[in-house]
Amino acid sequence: MAEFYGTTVADIFNTMPKRFKPEEAKEEDIAIGYECKGEGKWKVTIKHGTIKVEEVKGDLKGCATTIHAADAETFIGTTLGKIQAMDALTTGKLRVVGDVKLLMTLLPKIFVQYTVPEKKSSVVAKDIISTITERFRPDKAAGVDMKVGYDLAGEGGGKWTIVIKDGKCAVKEGLAKDLTVKMTMPAEIYVGMMLGTISGESAFTSGQVKLDGDMMAAGATSRFFNKFVDPNAQASEAEELITIKVTNSINCRFATGTAYGMWFKGLKEKKFLANVCPKCGRTQITPREICAFCRVRCNEFAELGPKGTITAADVVYFASPDPLTGAVRETPYAMCWILLDNASPQEAFCFDIKREDLPKMKVGARVRPVWAKETKGTFTDLLYFELDK
Amino acid sequence: MTTMTCKKEDTTNCFVFEGKMALPNQYFVGRLGSKFIIALRDKKKIMGLKCPKCKKTFVPPREYCHFCQTKIDENWVELGNEGVLVNYAVVRYLGKHLPRKVPYILGQIKLKGADTPLTHIVEGVDIKDVRIGMKLKAVFAPKTTNTLLDLDHFEPV
Amino acid sequence: MKKQSEKPAKAHKKNRNVAIVGIGMTSLSSHKEDQNQPEMIHEAVRAALADAKMTLDDIDCVVHGNMELFEMQYQPDMWHVLGSGAYGKDEYRITTGGTVGATMVCAADNLVASGLYDTVLAIGFEKLQEGNTTGGITNMADPLWFRNIQTGALTGTTAAMMIDEFGAERAKKAAMKYRILMDKHAMLNERAHRRFGLEYDQAEDLMKTSPQLVGELRLIHMCSQSDGACAMIFTHEKRAKKVCKKPVWIRDHITVHREENMSNLYAFEKPEMTHHYAARKLFERNGIKDPVKYFDVFEMYDPSAWWGLDWSREFLQLKGDEHLRLLEDGEFDLDGKLPLNPSGGVIASNPIGATAMLRPAFAALQIRGDAGGCQIKKPVKHALASGFGGTLWTVLMMLEKDLDW
Repeated sequence: MAEFYGTTVADIFNTMPKRFKPEEAKEEDIAIGYECKGEGKWKVTIKHGTIKVEEVKGDLKGCATTIHAADAETFIGTTLGKIQAMDALTTGKLRVVGDVKLLMTLLPKIFVQYTVPEKKSSVVAKDIISTITERFRPDKAAGVDMKVGYDLAGEGGGKWTIVIKDGKCAVKEGLAKDLTVKMTMPAEIYVGMMLGTISGESAFTSGQVKLDGDMMAAGATSRFFNKFVDPNAQASEAEELITIKVTNSINCRFATGTAYGMWFKGLKEKKFLANVCPKCGRTQITPREICAFCRVRCNEFAELGPKGTITAADVVYFASPDPLTGAVRETPYAMCWILLDNASPQEAFCFDIKREDLPKMKVGARVRPVWAKETKGTFTDLLYFELDK
Repeated sequence: MTTMTCKKEDTTNCFVFEGKMALPNQYFVGRLGSKFIIALRDKKKIMGLKCPKCKKTFVPPREYCHFCQTKIDENWVELGNEGVLVNYAVVRYLGKHLPRKVPYILGQIKLKGADTPLTHIVEGVDIKDVRIGMKLKAVFAPKTTNTLLDLDHFEPV
Repeated sequence: MKKQSEKPAKAHKKNRNVAIVGIGMTSLSSHKEDQNQPEMIHEAVRAALADAKMTLDDIDCVVHGNMELFEMQYQPDMWHVLGSGAYGKDEYRITTGGTVGATMVCAADNLVASGLYDTVLAIGFEKLQEGNTTGGITNMADPLWFRNIQTGALTGTTAAMMIDEFGAERAKKAAMKYRILMDKHAMLNERAHRRFGLEYDQAEDLMKTSPQLVGELRLIHMCSQSDGACAMIFTHEKRAKKVCKKPVWIRDHITVHREENMSNLYAFEKPEMTHHYAARKLFERNGIKDPVKYFDVFEMYDPSAWWGLDWSREFLQLKGDEHLRLLEDGEFDLDGKLPLNPSGGVIASNPIGATAMLRPAFAALQIRGDAGGCQIKKPVKHALASGFGGTLWTVLMMLEKDLDW
């Protein structure tokens, strides 16, 4: 196994089950194939919140999508973010056969980001438990009364009870008799969960963490404490660079003016209204007050179409996400430039074409508009164009 | 071809369309800014940068001395958490982005050791009692957000 | 046979001549988390001042620009004063979309030529990692009509038209060759951002396997985003001759914008492209009849391989497949008749607000002989640089080594 950036391809797959977040993959039923030249092939099967990772010797069968890396460096580099995935996709060093969007949307959602394992973080469970009282948030635990028991097996482990009552927190050795909930697990699993390298859900689902008692209480405990920060990691870690993330959305009001106002009036009546330049005669669609070539106002309107001819077409395979909602239009979809009947020769009009007509669409074809059942005078009145058979 | 006429003064078809502009962004505070905020967040200290030539100390920190253009990004100095109010304004207009309920006081505080004032919220004093020259001290936020508001506000000593 | 005079006819008359005396750039990358915007700008400003052997006291006026709102910040020039050096000086903020870098060069030229200012510092930048490019482009679209339909800056119509005109095989091969040529140039340019080390024998494979974006426009053809800043210093003839060993003269520039949106551009009959119009007017008034012969380098703003190839025909006033033949015969290579984008072009580096300024900047470096690894070996005296933006707007300018027109 080749080693790059301090780790190997095998480690990325070995840690996949631990990093898997079953709660994010409840709806998924998919098999993804991975091929890293020189290293091997793996098949990852995800079915309704469960995961199976297996190394494959022959062909990757039954995978809806396969990801191919030209070499170990590319695979490890893009996984860690040291190499830009976009760059690797551009040069072909990373290749996706199937759904490219998978790489960018599903995978980051269902896996904890892979990080190079610390070269022996000396932190053990005992150290973390000793910081519990100083990390306690009384403001978050108001009115809470519980005893949480931890039974951590293995090196650095032990048995403790955390008592939360009347806005105070105390840690006692041993397991009390009247525990609200008891959590049993290997000590190193506890450490991994606290450091964020292991998904807690996954550890529970896979049976590595056993709960006895009030499950809800167990889930709530993390809220009462500040996150544990490994003091050793801080010393060796690269300096922390802060990024402030924010999404502002500004409410705006746009005035149509007379020209656009007429256009929307036309849409309401299921008509295409263009305004005509008195000098050069061109039919401006969508209407603008002035003809920019002749620099005169265009007050006369003419009705175009409703049918037209396709002059150019774009089939879109990669849709940009909506900046506010993050929603992505389903691809492929097509946009056509249409010369409506009666339009002057340079004045094409661009709009969507019916998804079902995509395969038969071509330059020169005749199209007609499809209107919404109820037209209100807004841009949603025109649904799309369809082939005029 | 039917023609219709529409004059500029004819506003029958004009209307106003309500829309939204989305502005998702992430601002990189930078190496220096990060050090400054981390000091506020973790150590509850306000740090400035001093120019060895001009002997002026800047806060918030900047890479180069404003006056002589010397690079000063290594010369961190710890400023006290106390200072004097040198200027203020009372914010009264409503805005959902504002950090406090209006009316509140936005002041400029000259910390001990700094040559530039730090702009921040002043609390714990009635609007009618605010005076230039008041002695103030910094109060840090119990819950931090990795922003300047990890220093929550200033209040009278 | 009567020998044609080498001197072109008199150009556009200026009040006084203007030279570029300082050029500074930051590195171009996609990871600038350790710098905030004023710090990044300051890096470029300091580099430009060092190059010009000047200080901020020598600057009378600052011209500042980028793509408005692309970082989701309004009027960043206000708080960039920390980095731009504009404190106490006059400042102009310019935002004209993608052309802004080139427009700033034109503005600086006009400001100095007019006599309003003696020495102007122009700064273009972009920190796209902080913003949202799609959001920026979407928010620029006509809110009433186009905002909900448009897909950002991607369109495959040019590829479709070229395939229609030249046949699929030749057109696709040419677009791929163009792309690989740009990468080869970028590999020589230490300052470029994306340098992949592509080889011509990868062309077949990439043509088929690179993911399609829109139509035949594939990921490999498309430019990407970069963070970075560029600063240039301009001054008038008298001062330039005194303080600068290698001033680069701005001979002429032209700006052509169209008012409609992308929706109207692809009917059967197409309007004259702004690129063609700009070049036609610029060459006419400067008496240039054979641009391929006249110019020693062309830094063109090429957002994609298809567009770069198509527009080479428009800018150079060529007909038929002359541009394809120039490409196929290697005349756009570094040692060809007219080296095209020796810097690697926009496909290699694209900090949008600075990109259009990088074109004249790299062209000027070629004239000075300071372009580093991608320096053209033959002497470079006449350079052409273009900017692109919006719905196919064009800024075109001519740079000269000597004041010989």
